Amino acid sequence: MSMPDNRPRPRAFRLDDVVIESQPDAFLVEADAALPAVIDPDEGAIEAAQKRGLLRRTLISWGGLFWSAAGALAALALGLWFDRLIRDLFDRSTTLGTIGLVLAGLALVALLMLLARELTAIYRQTHIARLHIALAEARAADDREAARTRVAELAALYAHRPETATPRALLKGLVNEIVDGRDLIDIAERNLMLPLDEEARREIATAAKRVSVVTAISPRALLDVLFVVAQAMRLMRRIAEIYGGRPGFLGAIKLARSVASHLAITGGMAVGDSLVQQVLGHGIAAKLSARLGEGVLNGLLTARVGLSAMAVCRPMPFAAERAPGVRDVAPFLFSEKKKD
Amino acid sequence: MGGTLPSPALPNLSDLIFETGIAARSFADFVTGSGLRLGVTGLSRAGKTIFITALIHQLTRAAKLAAEGRRNTLPVFRLIAEKRLTGARLEPQPNDAVPRFAYEDHLAALTAADRHWPESTRRISELRLTIEFERKAGWRPGPSSLSIDIVDYPGEWLLDLPLLGKTYAQWSRETLEASAAAARASLAAHWRGATLGLDPRAPASEDQARRLAELFTGYLKAARAERYALSTLPPGRFLMPGDLEGSPALTFAPLQVEDADTEIAGSLAAMMARRYEAYKTHVVRPFFRDHFARLDRQIVLVDALAALNSGPAAVRDLENALADVLTAFRAGRSNLLSTIFRPRIDKILFAATKADHLHHTSHDRLESILRHLVGRAIVRAENVGAAVDVVAMAAVRATREAAVQQGRQNLNAIVGTPLPGEEIGGEVFDGTGEVAIFPGELPADPRAVFRGETLAVSPGEADYRFVRFRPPLAELGTDGLPLPLPHIRLDRALEFLMGDKVR
Repeated sequence: MSMPDNRPRPRAFRLDDVVIESQPDAFLVEADAALPAVIDPDEGAIEAAQKRGLLRRTLISWGGLFWSAAGALAALALGLWFDRLIRDLFDRSTTLGTIGLVLAGLALVALLMLLARELTAIYRQTHIARLHIALAEARAADDREAARTRVAELAALYAHRPETATPRALLKGLVNEIVDGRDLIDIAERNLMLPLDEEARREIATAAKRVSVVTAISPRALLDVLFVVAQAMRLMRRIAEIYGGRPGFLGAIKLARSVASHLAITGGMAVGDSLVQQVLGHGIAAKLSARLGEGVLNGLLTARVGLSAMAVCRPMPFAAERAPGVRDVAPFLFSEKKKD
Repeated sequence: MGGTLPSPALPNLSDLIFETGIAARSFADFVTGSGLRLGVTGLSRAGKTIFITALIHQLTRAAKLAAEGRRNTLPVFRLIAEKRLTGARLEPQPNDAVPRFAYEDHLAALTAADRHWPESTRRISELRLTIEFERKAGWRPGPSSLSIDIVDYPGEWLLDLPLLGKTYAQWSRETLEASAAAARASLAAHWRGATLGLDPRAPASEDQARRLAELFTGYLKAARAERYALSTLPPGRFLMPGDLEGSPALTFAPLQVEDADTEIAGSLAAMMARRYEAYKTHVVRPFFRDHFARLDRQIVLVDALAALNSGPAAVRDLENALADVLTAFRAGRSNLLSTIFRPRIDKILFAATKADHLHHTSHDRLESILRHLVGRAIVRAENVGAAVDVVAMAAVRATREAAVQQGRQNLNAIVGTPLPGEEIGGEVFDGTGEVAIFPGELPADPRAVFRGETLAVSPGEADYRFVRFRPPLAELGTDGLPLPLPHIRLDRALEFLMGDKVR
């Protein structure tokens, strides 16, 4: 195997004869990179909230078992009733019976379709929540391989949306280039997420505005409550839709659970937030009129719900972009006092 | 097939009994609820004893070191990185008839004042390590424990496993063919001369059998010598007899025979064939049944560097030996039924040991060479659904890295204390004092190391040469006991092998 080349031959060097440069220990460097990065408390709150709602496995909990069993019983009862109905119809006349049977068949097909849609919606939701956690991990670890696969998944999520075509093409090109894991994820966030974030913020602003105005003028407290709850649900669903995880009925419950946990977890952090100062009586609006104050308060609440929904529905953590606060999405609730 | 032994078309009664025995033991294991059976597989000098010793040392010390606030030495092993390991201790192993793995002696050898590598393993030994940890997922989070059973044995014995599926005549033919190859012919000349001049149909004589066995053993020992570093050398007990030395089961040798010859009553061939079968029944089968038939996870340690030192013929020989040995193991995805009656290995890690003998920039190349070496086994394991990974590893790291300036070039070298008698570039070391060593570069194309007929390449013309080092100096902890020795990617190996069992 002797080749006439000038490659260095294996050999030994006495330590006192040669110049030795010590190198940083590659394995210690590797080990440091593997140490779990300190997780941002905001991101921790989001992931905890996702686990309590979107990623929760309802089927193996006692509550899940209860509802499944009770639901099955109700279905049996319905079946009995239905059986009797069809028999009665056939007793009256064959035509009526046939019509009843056809209608029942149609209802069944529709039910199955609804069920399928429900399941795909839940699957999509969990997929997005997992993607969020995986991207956060890949970003913390600066893991290039993980970042590539996850960013590809992220782009695939928006493949059916023409308005995201440009950023998707950009990412597809970058995935094959040599870009560090963290940079790749940041680029994806700045290009792909930003327009969606804008849209979500607009939705939150509209909802907050609508709620504050309606509560300010509505005649009854009960109507207020119903309106606020309905608006909050609608906002959550809309935001989930923007980020690609349009929820069905069960999905909406899971989502609401996640949003509620996120609100509960971040509630403590919000003490320093302008929201509390506003509520505690600095708002001139509140001093001017109780009704107007209520309107502002409900508007702020809606905005907070929207922001929480944004945090748990977003398929990646806020890293390159700053997470928006109440003041960013609903500045009108704050500037009011200056105008008045 | 399920990764079983290469068995004849019709299973005979003894095979059936053998299988039943394995199933019964697996069931007993399942009922008594033992933990993880980790198979540490490797030919001789691959580093099994060091791997086991380092693994135990790291795990038994980790909880205490973490409590003292020391740096975590196994950051990739999530159990420890997440601070869920609360303790680890050695326990009496379940098998009363097998000696205990002499962990304390091996550790003392590594960390004593005249630090040296433990003697090569001469007999089988076993150990149970129980780790206490906090489970964070699954049905029952909270305090939990896992027992890990580990077996250490002479790597030579592993070479016997492929014999289980071969008849005497078949084995004789293969051994004679192999010994005629260019690389081996000179080593085997003496024995071949004696055996080819014999008539296997002649009446049996004990004297002749003994002489042949001696010559054959001599050939095997010569081929194993470090200079040649050949691997495919069954039967393993000829090299490392344990307590069977001199017994009839070890007094046989291959002859130039046909299957029919072994049936002539009273002939030399018949006697040899009977002893070969006895060897299989009394030595190989029990060894396989007791220690290899029921494994959950497997790490295959491969000392690729010794074969690379010797040359392409040795590398190909190592490839064949590993392929033969690994067919004996049952790999596959586990399910409940298989867990109870027929455990399968669902994760296999191939580790190129002694990665500290080269600079970390060459580790990728070492890994791809290993990937080629065990390519057949990897494909087979992946086909049946087992997870496979390849890693360049050093359970104990004896060197550190540095750049040496030579002229205008900067060479990536390693610094350590070579063992006395080691040689590189015409320089022989005496075992004292550190030197920087540039071991050469592994080829970028892994296939290059398989090409050629050379064996025992002389040091002057080799492109690379790996020197063995003395163990590193052990630091002492606050309690006066040695701290875990440095390692390379031992934590990655642990994470792969048992990370999912301790979630």
